[in-house]
Amino acid sequence: MSAAVTKSSRTGREGLTAYLFLSPWLIGIVLLTLGPMLYSAYLAFTSYDLLSAPRWIGLDNFRRMFTADPRYLSSVKVTLVYVVVSVPLLLVVSMVLALLLNKGIKFLSGYRALFYLPSLMGASVAIAVLWRQIFGSTGLVNQVLSLFGITHGSWVGSPGTALWTIVTLNLWAFGATMIIFLAGLRQVPAELHEAAAVDGAGPIRRFFSVTLPLMTPLIFFNLLLDTIHAFQVFTGAFVVSRGTGGPADSTLFYTLYLYQQGFAELKMGYASAMAWVLVIVLAAFTGFLFLTARRWVYYGDER
Amino acid sequence: MTRRLGTAALACAALLVAAGCNGTSVGNGATGGAAGGQDGKGDVTGSLQLTFWGGANRAAKTNAVADLFVKAHPGVTIDRQNADFGSYFNKLNIQASSKTLPCVMQLQGRQLNDYTKRKVLLPLDPMIESGVIKVDDIPQEVVDTGRGPDGKLYFLPYGAAYDAVGVNETLARQAGIGLPPDKYDWKQYTDWIASAKGKLPDGVFAAGARGGLPNYFIAYQLANGKQLFTDDGKLGFGKESLIEYWEMWERLRKSGVTMSADAQADEPQGAEQNFVAQGRLMTDSMPGNALTPASATLAGRAGGQKLVTLPMPSGPSGSGNAMFTSGFAIPVNCDNVPTAAAFIDFFTNDLEAGKIFKSDNGAATNRKVLQAQIDDPQLPALKKHELELFAKIAANKPPTILYPPGYQATFENAFSRAYEEIAFGKKTVQQAADSFFTEANAGLGG
Amino acid sequence: MTAVTVGARPLFGRRRSRNPLVLALIRHAVLIAVLVLMLYPVVWMVAASFRPSAEVMNSLGLFSKNYTLDNYQQGWSAGQLDFSRYFLNSVAITVLSIAGNLFSCSLTAYAFARLEFPFKRVLFGLLLATMLLPYHVTLVPQYILFNELAWMNTYLPLVVPKWLGVEAFFIFLMVQFIRTLPRELDDAARIDGCGHWRTFSRIILPLALPAIGTTALFTFINSWNDFLGPLLYLNRPELWTVSLGLNSFLDVTGESAYGALFAMSTLALAPIVGFFLGAQKLLIEGVATTGLK
Repeated sequence: MSAAVTKSSRTGREGLTAYLFLSPWLIGIVLLTLGPMLYSAYLAFTSYDLLSAPRWIGLDNFRRMFTADPRYLSSVKVTLVYVVVSVPLLLVVSMVLALLLNKGIKFLSGYRALFYLPSLMGASVAIAVLWRQIFGSTGLVNQVLSLFGITHGSWVGSPGTALWTIVTLNLWAFGATMIIFLAGLRQVPAELHEAAAVDGAGPIRRFFSVTLPLMTPLIFFNLLLDTIHAFQVFTGAFVVSRGTGGPADSTLFYTLYLYQQGFAELKMGYASAMAWVLVIVLAAFTGFLFLTARRWVYYGDER
Repeated sequence: MTRRLGTAALACAALLVAAGCNGTSVGNGATGGAAGGQDGKGDVTGSLQLTFWGGANRAAKTNAVADLFVKAHPGVTIDRQNADFGSYFNKLNIQASSKTLPCVMQLQGRQLNDYTKRKVLLPLDPMIESGVIKVDDIPQEVVDTGRGPDGKLYFLPYGAAYDAVGVNETLARQAGIGLPPDKYDWKQYTDWIASAKGKLPDGVFAAGARGGLPNYFIAYQLANGKQLFTDDGKLGFGKESLIEYWEMWERLRKSGVTMSADAQADEPQGAEQNFVAQGRLMTDSMPGNALTPASATLAGRAGGQKLVTLPMPSGPSGSGNAMFTSGFAIPVNCDNVPTAAAFIDFFTNDLEAGKIFKSDNGAATNRKVLQAQIDDPQLPALKKHELELFAKIAANKPPTILYPPGYQATFENAFSRAYEEIAFGKKTVQQAADSFFTEANAGLGG
Repeated sequence: MTAVTVGARPLFGRRRSRNPLVLALIRHAVLIAVLVLMLYPVVWMVAASFRPSAEVMNSLGLFSKNYTLDNYQQGWSAGQLDFSRYFLNSVAITVLSIAGNLFSCSLTAYAFARLEFPFKRVLFGLLLATMLLPYHVTLVPQYILFNELAWMNTYLPLVVPKWLGVEAFFIFLMVQFIRTLPRELDDAARIDGCGHWRTFSRIILPLALPAIGTTALFTFINSWNDFLGPLLYLNRPELWTVSLGLNSFLDVTGESAYGALFAMSTLALAPIVGFFLGAQKLLIEGVATTGLK
């Protein structure tokens, strides 16, 4: 009884301290995140061009999105293809390279740093100009291919391949994901591997039965973050296609279309509606991932 | 991982705008700030914000003019802002929404009515009447390009650009086809392009896949005497003329005379890096003021090829050249109208200012300023050609196009995209024309 | 750096009887091939920055008969002000941003990782949710807000949000890291009579150095490369950052200067690369913890 009282008074005091510690973040989240989010939720039901007052139009924005806007639907398609292709690719490449670098390799820190380098560069103006150069019709890729007698048109300039150049741009920065895997691999106990080896498991078998299960928490984490990033992909497409999403809308990502509608055409209400659809989709995806996590993510101890 | 947060913020960012706190509409010509002073009379003093598009080179010239103005008017300080063409209008939109538009803001006819529609600009006519802004030496039809749908003048054009047909003369001579005849029309032009087939070096094409270039199409419609936009800002031409135009380009593209669509999509930006400048095309449409930078790159290539600019092809209705003017406007939220008006007048009409700016953004609209530049023995030959061609085009009294609100955002993008879809085989010409008409009419005017 | 136990546990290869030296060679060959593929573009850019302007875009090789520093000279003194000013501005904004993020994120993270308080789960959920939101959603409403506060043409809009912990990812990173530190430390400190503030500043912060370093690096990269923020808030060239300076080289309506652009881009990348190489070990440790539960 009395113990409970002191405990509650202590948590009361601790609660006060905690809120003091939290105060900057709380101010920020109310003023700079939640407030604007609520405002945009209101805008999603309006027609608003930034310059005159928002006009309430109910569900019209959402109706237009799914029934009268072919470009919206194609941006959804492009984004989904991108997510489905680029995320697994990124995870697999990061994992393979992390495995290659993992144990007892010379110059590890040098390799690690160099692989990580592109992640630091982001999609700056210069990198974008470069990408257009590399994948252009007379670019580096085609020059190399022509040594093998293969001729190919422009990669960034054809609707069939433009999306892949952006996937490549994303893949180029796999270092960030790889580093997390690498850290995880170093925590896989050597005894387990040795025991499996004694049981006659080959390296491939050992990877699938020992390493992979232990890595699932990290795979889960990277899958979540990389997917969210992939849904929100913007800069690469923006700079490589010069903001158009071209050629022929083949790189019109969701956020890029949202930007065009909101910023270039000043349809802020419509753009807000699009943003909220994205938020809802991301929330659904995250929820789904967490629900399934119990089935495939292996935690050595219960949390 | 977080690397994308920073740079990628770019965009969507702008989306969810809360203009709630000041989303009051600027209806019925209500003016903020400048109470009185609508005629631009008053003391030229205090601070002034100036905003324009362009890179480092243009900024240097503009700043030099601004410095000259400050020297002539002690007590004035000028706060300068510039951005590249693409970001510039995004920024302007945000400034318009928060009523912080700079007192002197650069516009083109192409975007003018996005702003007049929202009543954020001050009419300049009272300032002309009071003599603060002078237009005596600017051709009437050039001044008119700054007028809104209500007939009032909303920006004073200081530079008039035109689009020309650039021809790599060296390549054309090597192919043995020479230049198109004087006063050539579209048929002669396309035949001339087609005749170069097979006579050009490897990897060089006669022309670009240019069916999606809005300014080319505008030239085509003007030459054929077609109206581009109706009075209420919708498309003013028939679908059949668009189909005819796209089919003309498609014939060239399919017969391998023009560059393939994917190669065309690769074209680097900037007048000195585009395909004409790189010597990969024999002819292409180009802004008149691109002649100098493009020639410089071309000269640096093996063979020292030579570039010339010609007027656009003509047609039954004469010349196809439209005038694209740039100039300065004053927003209603400006609190220093007298200084803004004085600056605009100075930038446009002052001989010394013109000498510094060197017609960097289209030929100077003021006759005397232009003549002084043409007469200047120091003027490089290419620039001289550019300015003389302008004088020639201006002498033809080119028609003025009133661009409806949404032109730049809707028309231009939809137009290029529609042709891309044709060229990449995603749509037939008919389908693309249908969807273009739907999209453009939905986004224009209003 | 790491002990050499080549071939002790090859992850690939059919049998363990393979010659370990051959295996190691193959492994290095693969790694180097991938590296060359990845880094060539950057190397090309650096090489291009030393080529004369007319040759910048014309070749995809690395070599030129006439290397020159012209692009650097041109770029450095291009525009209204020289680049040194932009660099100083970027440094100022970046330093303030790093300080802000370290301040707000470490405080918040300590509370979430070590303290009990009402609504903790709800607030933590909120924190995770903000990580998943498109962050750019808030930029323009913020613009209006800062505009009302008359913060235009100051660095406040770029820096203040960092002091208010808007970047949830870093809070999350630090929470994850602090959770890996043994609780016994806190208990020992409490027995010694330290309050939460002293426990936080004397015990937790020094131990959380990898997370702090990681936060600092990412904040550095983000601020350094940020383009739209400065574009919106900094209208005066004397306040411009490097990214705006770089952008002013690319002018679609006039003359652009790729040579100068590449030269200055190379200079702009240098501090990031330097920072990373300097603090590599710390960072790797910090990044790694984010993925651990």
